[in-house]
Amino acid sequence: MSLRKFLALTRAGIMESLHYRLGTIVTLFANLIYLVLVYYLWKAVYASSGVEQVNGMTFTDTMIYLILATALFNFLEMFVVWDMSRSIQSGKIILDLLKPMDFRSYTFWSYSGSHVVSFVLTFIPTFIVVMIVTRGAIHMGLNLLYFAISVVLALLINFGIEMLVATVCLYTESTWGINIVKETIVLLLSGASIPLAFFPERIRDVIGYLPFRAVYDIPLTVLLGKGGSDSLAGLIKLWGLQFIWAVVLYVAGVLFWNHSVKKITVNGG
Amino acid sequence: MNKRGLTFYLSIYRKVLIQDLKSKMSYRADFVISTIGMIMTNLAGFITFMILFHNFPTINGWDYHHMLFLYGFSLVALTPVQCFFDNNWNLRFMVQSGDFIKYCFRPINVFFYFMSEVFDVKGLGQLAFGLGTLIYAWHHTGIPVTILTVSQAILFLLTASLFMIAIMNAAAATCFWIQGSGYVMVIMFRFKDFAKYPANIFSGIFKVVFTFIIPIAFVAYYPSLVLLTPSSVPLLSWLSPAIGILFFFLSYKFWMLGVSKYDFTGS
Repeated sequence: MSLRKFLALTRAGIMESLHYRLGTIVTLFANLIYLVLVYYLWKAVYASSGVEQVNGMTFTDTMIYLILATALFNFLEMFVVWDMSRSIQSGKIILDLLKPMDFRSYTFWSYSGSHVVSFVLTFIPTFIVVMIVTRGAIHMGLNLLYFAISVVLALLINFGIEMLVATVCLYTESTWGINIVKETIVLLLSGASIPLAFFPERIRDVIGYLPFRAVYDIPLTVLLGKGGSDSLAGLIKLWGLQFIWAVVLYVAGVLFWNHSVKKITVNGG
Repeated sequence: MNKRGLTFYLSIYRKVLIQDLKSKMSYRADFVISTIGMIMTNLAGFITFMILFHNFPTINGWDYHHMLFLYGFSLVALTPVQCFFDNNWNLRFMVQSGDFIKYCFRPINVFFYFMSEVFDVKGLGQLAFGLGTLIYAWHHTGIPVTILTVSQAILFLLTASLFMIAIMNAAAATCFWIQGSGYVMVIMFRFKDFAKYPANIFSGIFKVVFTFIIPIAFVAYYPSLVLLTPSSVPLLSWLSPAIGILFFFLSYKFWMLGVSKYDFTGS
């Protein structure tokens, strides 16, 4: 019964995203242009260095990593922070809070539809193009399944981060500021701007334990079979880190939300 | 619409600007957090740059200080679009909600009035950051400081800024035709991150694409060559002021075409 209720939200989300399908096509197209930019930049970078491998990453690895990080970014992107602040301003949030469903799961499942659409319409095509461009450099095997599991965990962690930040919006009007701080930290420390393998070792040791890495770096590392993910023990370690953060962020998010929602002030609505 | 003098527009701009700043001052916490956010984005960009150079000493024959010059140049060139044209980001909401109609009823240029409404103070942080980087790199690349080079720098920085303004105007104006076209702006805004790399890394058809269609090669690379390699400046660098004005003009026309197509949605 309860699953049907959630899937109804997923279906509504899918229909809503398909209404803006032009956006999906443009995003895919932009990913391809981005692929070209990354290709030329890193080709020049590797050509100038004159070596095949830098910190265990070849040119192809770096390309796959950065392009798929962008594709994952588009796929995982949620506008929870924006939507939350807008619904506080308009007063719509009252209606959502009154719904006979926990607000957090309502939000999560409302977004799930758009995740499904963007996964099928942008992530998979980008993935195929990367496969073609790199001439099948992505190993096709169990690592795809491991990657999928890792992405689901990344989705949960990302939602946890988004929800925590969105809750901060109940206290301040500064949506743009808070959102940009969040985005900057996540993109830099998750490896989406530059692969974490290139960071100086000491910094990498610290970043390795933070939740941001679990959003982009771990799924991509698992896909590429690096960072010890080729052995079961290494894989479990990476998944374990993701799992722990998913749980920690979930608990922290629930506590913070339940505490903050009592303070909400809405003008009008 | 009758033509008015520059002084008229300047005085209007000043009045609208003061109102905007007043309303911003009433949200002081927002201002502080947004400024921190802006500093952090610049810092993150800088860290990415440093990490890249930590691993690779040169890129396509460009060493650290030349790249730093290009980086600072691009940051300064991106300031005007941030400060003066930030209202483009609100365009799609206003068009969708119908609020945009108010701009059409004023007896002044719609584009001017719309842009004058927002002055983004955060952009000044980026300007300071960019200028600091540029001056540091200028000193280390050994470019002479003469009246000629300084005036060239000012002219070509202004030139370079026109291209990003043109890109964002065109990207924002798509919302007159496509519903929910925010992603076009987001994407274009992300491409600007590649402006800080030398455009000679591109070859073939993509060289043309990134020079004339999505002109990121003009946001820093071509204009800065006038200072960086004064002995062999490509023709495109000298032509960049004219091309910049042309791109700006075309984007303005495209924007205004959108306005003329605009049917307001009621309410």
